[in-house]
Amino acid sequence: MATVAFSDVHKSFGATKVLHGISLDIANGEFMVLVGPSGCGKSTLLRMLAGLEEIGGGEISIDGRVVNDVDSKDRDIAMVFQSYALYPHMTVRENMGFSLKLRKDKQRLIDERVANAARILNLEPYLERFPRELSGGQRQRVAMGRAIVRDPKVFLFDEPLSNLDAKLRVAMRAEIKALHQRLKTTTVYVTHDQIEAMTMADRIAVMNEGRIEQLGEPLELYDHPVNLFVAQFIGSPAMNIFDGVVRAGAVEALGARLPAAVLRAGGTDGQKVKYGVRPEHLELASAGIAAEVVLVEPMGAETEILAKAGDTRLTLMTRGRSIAGPGDRIFLAPQAGYIHLFDAASGLRIA
Amino acid sequence: MNKIVREAKLWLIAIPILLWTLLPIYHIFLFSISTKDSAFSGALWPAKPTLHNFAVVFRQDHFYLHHFWAQIWNSLWIAVAVGVLTLAVATCAAFAISRLKVKGGRVVMNAALFTYFIPAAFLAVPMYKAMGTYGLLNSRWSLVLAMVTLASPYAIWVLKQASDKLPWELDEAARIDGATPLQLFRLVYVPLMMPSLVAIGTYALILAWNEYLYAFLLLSHENTIPLAVGLGHFLASDDSPWELLMATALIYAAPPAAIYYAFRRYMVGGLTAGAVKT
Repeated sequence: MATVAFSDVHKSFGATKVLHGISLDIANGEFMVLVGPSGCGKSTLLRMLAGLEEIGGGEISIDGRVVNDVDSKDRDIAMVFQSYALYPHMTVRENMGFSLKLRKDKQRLIDERVANAARILNLEPYLERFPRELSGGQRQRVAMGRAIVRDPKVFLFDEPLSNLDAKLRVAMRAEIKALHQRLKTTTVYVTHDQIEAMTMADRIAVMNEGRIEQLGEPLELYDHPVNLFVAQFIGSPAMNIFDGVVRAGAVEALGARLPAAVLRAGGTDGQKVKYGVRPEHLELASAGIAAEVVLVEPMGAETEILAKAGDTRLTLMTRGRSIAGPGDRIFLAPQAGYIHLFDAASGLRIA
Repeated sequence: MNKIVREAKLWLIAIPILLWTLLPIYHIFLFSISTKDSAFSGALWPAKPTLHNFAVVFRQDHFYLHHFWAQIWNSLWIAVAVGVLTLAVATCAAFAISRLKVKGGRVVMNAALFTYFIPAAFLAVPMYKAMGTYGLLNSRWSLVLAMVTLASPYAIWVLKQASDKLPWELDEAARIDGATPLQLFRLVYVPLMMPSLVAIGTYALILAWNEYLYAFLLLSHENTIPLAVGLGHFLASDDSPWELLMATALIYAAPPAAIYYAFRRYMVGGLTAGAVKT
């Protein structure tokens, strides 16, 4: 159990700056997810915390102690790798107990801790097997077991679920989350998958090009993205975003006058904006944006409709079944109160 | 149909190669079980096959064979020493260059490659001079050191390539687990490199076992020379005892064959299966 603090952390590879001064405080017991597209620097940040990458500038501290010059093994952290990184010549039991053996713990203590971790992770029948004899999900659990037995101050996860198939990923997601709720160990989790981030995190740091774009709780990011990047990155299917112009307290876009209650707090006449509305906040209506249905994807509980208004593609998510079919002309209206307006030039949220 | 044609082509290549390889060995075998007067009869099988020649060799019952057991012991001692020393040098070098990323690693690798531009025979005389300077001539160590020198560059090169294929995450995982570089070497690196290590150790061992030129130059006492040089002595006279030479040669060829057979399972990979998702 510990706090983690990044303070103005920089990193360059040669002439390429990959991190431009990251500051981030992670609370004791918090599940922090770093999410962003590949190349945004999230893995580098994690590896610097792990001590696998040198810190270019700034300070990283664990539990108040600056660890810039502390060896990985003395940072009291445990890491789960995307590729599992299990020792192939050791059994599951030896893999999990390896760090304790290196620490010269008593064999009785090692056995006890490995047995305990195996029980938590349902690995008891596999303790004498080698990694090559396990399935992907089992290997991933062994990697987690290796982290658990150490009882570290911080768990680090580097895209741990990326190598698993879709179904297993959902199951493991829940397992990791349950594990965290049980152990309450401070966790830093890196992923490029925003659904993983949304479902698991206490707080999410959305990263892009070496900067944190927004930091907040999952639904806060979903409901109030501070800029276009976060708006587009968080949410699946992605938010509809199209160009508009502010006119007399509303926004003219796609040949319609659209409500924009948020404008009360900002925005000037004639300002060019990006108008954002999530698929579930777009409704079929008798007037509004004129569009043509391109594709209907029924998913049972809800239906996703892809439509085109001019050259702009719009996605609409409705509860229940759709009565529209491909080629139908429809009108779409955004629900007032669920609208996101961004300045077209800066990409920042208005109001 | 296509498959049959392809297989037939393979057989067409394989059979001549097999004959090409086995024919001389059969010839050696034929000589070694023939009596002295029938050795050159040209028959495909001797009229009276005998194991007498082997008995002569084992009892050291011939002028050229007085030191047979000493010489085969020398061969063995030298070959094992070369195998072990080459492995020690090359494994440490490959680990340092590939896993610890020591500075200057590239230079060492290029230097290792560069030594291949110089034929070993070229270095024989300088090596003789050097061993003389250190007073090692006629000591088995002179040949061991010379052979380790010749075998190391290739061994380093191969082991470095094999090391590079080990997943890097394993090193990182071990570092986080608290392993020092030496523990990483002992507990993770060496076990995973075992197939390559056995292959390279065997390579160095057999290189030394088969060496003639350096052995001939550096060692000259009947008691210090390895069997390869001892075999050469058979040809010193006009009337060589061919049947004894071939019987000795067959015995001499047996250990490498046995080693290959014993270690064949290490010559294939597969030990790293399951380490990382590929």
